Amino acid sequence: MASEAALASLRREWRLLRARPWDLAMVFWVPALAVLLMCWIFAAGLPQRLPVAVWDEDHTSLSRELTRMLDAAPGLSVAQPVLNGAEAQWALQSMAVYGVVHIPHSTTRDVKQGKAGQVTLLHNAQLATHSSLIQRDVRQVVATLSAGIEMRARARRGDPQQVLQVRMEPIKTNLIALFNISTNYEQFLAAALVPAILHILAMTAGAWSVGRELRDRSLGAWLRGGDWSQTLAALAGKLALPWLSMSAIGLAALLFLTLARGWHVAGSLAWVGVALAALVAVSLAAGALLAAATLSLRTALSGAGLLSAPAFAFSGVGFPLLAMSDSARGWAVSMPYTHYARLQIEQLQAGAPIAQSLPVVAGMTLATLILLALAAWGLRRALARPDKWGGR
Amino acid sequence: MQTPPMARQADPPSGFLAAWLQTLNALLRDKGVVLLLVGAPVLYGFFYPWFYGQEVVQRVPVAVVAQDNSSLARQMARFADASPRIAVVLVTGDEAQARQALLRGDIYGYALLHRGLKRSVVRTEEVVIPVYAHGGYPLVSKQVQYGFAEAFGTVSAGVELRRLQAGGQSALQAEASRSPLNLQMEALFNPTEGYGSFVVAAVALLILQQTLLMGGALLVGTWREQGLAHAGTTTWTARLLALCVPGWVSGLYYFGWVFVWHGYPSGGNPLGALALLAVFVPAVAGCAALLGWWFAERERALQVVLFTSLPLAFLGGFSWPAEALPAPLEWLRWLSPSTAAIQASLRLNQVGAPLAAALPQLLTLACLALASWLAVLAVARR
Repeated sequence: MASEAALASLRREWRLLRARPWDLAMVFWVPALAVLLMCWIFAAGLPQRLPVAVWDEDHTSLSRELTRMLDAAPGLSVAQPVLNGAEAQWALQSMAVYGVVHIPHSTTRDVKQGKAGQVTLLHNAQLATHSSLIQRDVRQVVATLSAGIEMRARARRGDPQQVLQVRMEPIKTNLIALFNISTNYEQFLAAALVPAILHILAMTAGAWSVGRELRDRSLGAWLRGGDWSQTLAALAGKLALPWLSMSAIGLAALLFLTLARGWHVAGSLAWVGVALAALVAVSLAAGALLAAATLSLRTALSGAGLLSAPAFAFSGVGFPLLAMSDSARGWAVSMPYTHYARLQIEQLQAGAPIAQSLPVVAGMTLATLILLALAAWGLRRALARPDKWGGR
Repeated sequence: MQTPPMARQADPPSGFLAAWLQTLNALLRDKGVVLLLVGAPVLYGFFYPWFYGQEVVQRVPVAVVAQDNSSLARQMARFADASPRIAVVLVTGDEAQARQALLRGDIYGYALLHRGLKRSVVRTEEVVIPVYAHGGYPLVSKQVQYGFAEAFGTVSAGVELRRLQAGGQSALQAEASRSPLNLQMEALFNPTEGYGSFVVAAVALLILQQTLLMGGALLVGTWREQGLAHAGTTTWTARLLALCVPGWVSGLYYFGWVFVWHGYPSGGNPLGALALLAVFVPAVAGCAALLGWWFAERERALQVVLFTSLPLAFLGGFSWPAEALPAPLEWLRWLSPSTAAIQASLRLNQVGAPLAAALPQLLTLACLALASWLAVLAVARR
């Protein structure tokens, strides 16, 4: 009976895990702590008060006003002033600051004479996140100051007050980030990284639990002969415990990141949970297949690393798929995490209909079944070749 | 398959050079170690940059929802399409259609030109064009927002210039009084603001660390299984130095070839970069030996180390500002050599800073190297 084989395999796995503290840790404690760590990294929220320096050659009330306004911006903190180009360079190169705002000596004179004054932000573009946050804040501060100067000038010229604002920019654009992510970007990142790390751990766990039976030459003791369906059932029974524990850990983390922290979920959280369980399942199955196909625990783990560790980087969450070359995009869309990440954004943020991501969950489930069947086939083959067991 | 070659060898030799050569020999004869110490760094040097080949996101598909059928609205749509940041793939009068395209992922944002747009402009009423961008994809959304803002800003400036001139100001004066204080942005060190330059430059150090960590711990774990791990100070110093050799070679390969080949900013301070490798690689080799000692099992290091790349990347202070980390993590992260190595490498390779700018990081690495080597020598004494 297949169900008996599955149950026997599950019980055996439970006994093994209890006898091997490291193995137990890698399917329960380590995933739980890793997920906790990811949440902790982003717990403090968006970076505040990134250090910038002001290189003021103007020394007027205007330049001092600009310095004060920069320091008052929540995202910026004005560090020790720099006095010359060499000091500015040192501050940037040693990364004591991520940007230097240069106010040249003719700035105030230019503004007073009706010419445009020019302020320059030198920013460390090698640190893209830091520099884009700084650019946004400095841009805003300078625009605010500039508008203030212009209003004062027009008031002096006698333009009627009520048309000032309108005249200044006849057509304004109001930039609206849909789905309200900019306010809790850190939660968004943490929510995307929790499944990414479980993806790695689950594929590793699949490779480990099957690969270890091969390395320890215990394949026969685990599978005990039986027919094809019993092998498949035994495989499913073996992976059931890591699947349950990692899915539960992932769900708990998602619940914490959303409901517990007051994040309004636009779509269906339950559907994200279903998809997460499917992602863990397909990762475990892929790991198991790597072991069953290579018959080597070490090679299977290397393969799991190659497939799963960069999955987040290539998922389109950071660098968009549309900017990748065709071949690179081909790799990215062959990875389950890419599809999961998209589903999660659709459900947690955008509130897209579930039907739209039905193929994602169906696809991951189907892929799990196919990978498990292939792994079972590989194990049947290995069962007949005890001379191949024990590979390191 | 075969048992690893070390098993066939006799007691470790006592001479320094002999032990060094024997360890190098053992490295090269163990397929698993070669794959991790040579194969993986070479492979990742091609694999990672592959995805970011284009570096900059351009021509993001967007829609223009034109409820106003005027010449001004048509001009604005044309200007939007001319922006290199965005490509207008859909012009529609129906906002719901644009919303659906956005949810389907066909477009990443849209601008709404409402009814009566031109009339409002002519009457000098306040006109605000809402630009909606998908917040779930920050890089894309930035392009959508700036693309539309620049295009519409150009149209707006034209309208304003005509108005000011009509009021009797010269074109030059009009231009200046439109915006008395301008901000110019100058992107230093990564002038194209390329994504690959930003990510791969830092991740390279993580790749170097993780492959050496896994390969070294795998080797030491194997020695432990076979009872070959205990040895005197001379032998273990030679072993650790031998472990550094592939690390240094991979380091030179990344700094001297991968960065250059992909056109990432590099070579700012070559001697400083060599100094970095001189302390970073021993620190990782020492940690690898400690891990292998602790695990005492050949494959365990692979299983345990694989997932750590992800948190270490976000603790490295390049993709997520360290200023935003909780205080305990801000300290703990320095225990991984990757943290100091990434910070030092950015300063020395990309930014081209003098050695003094990276001195705190290099000292941290030297301390990690010293501490881990002493720990290895202490536990490995017979």
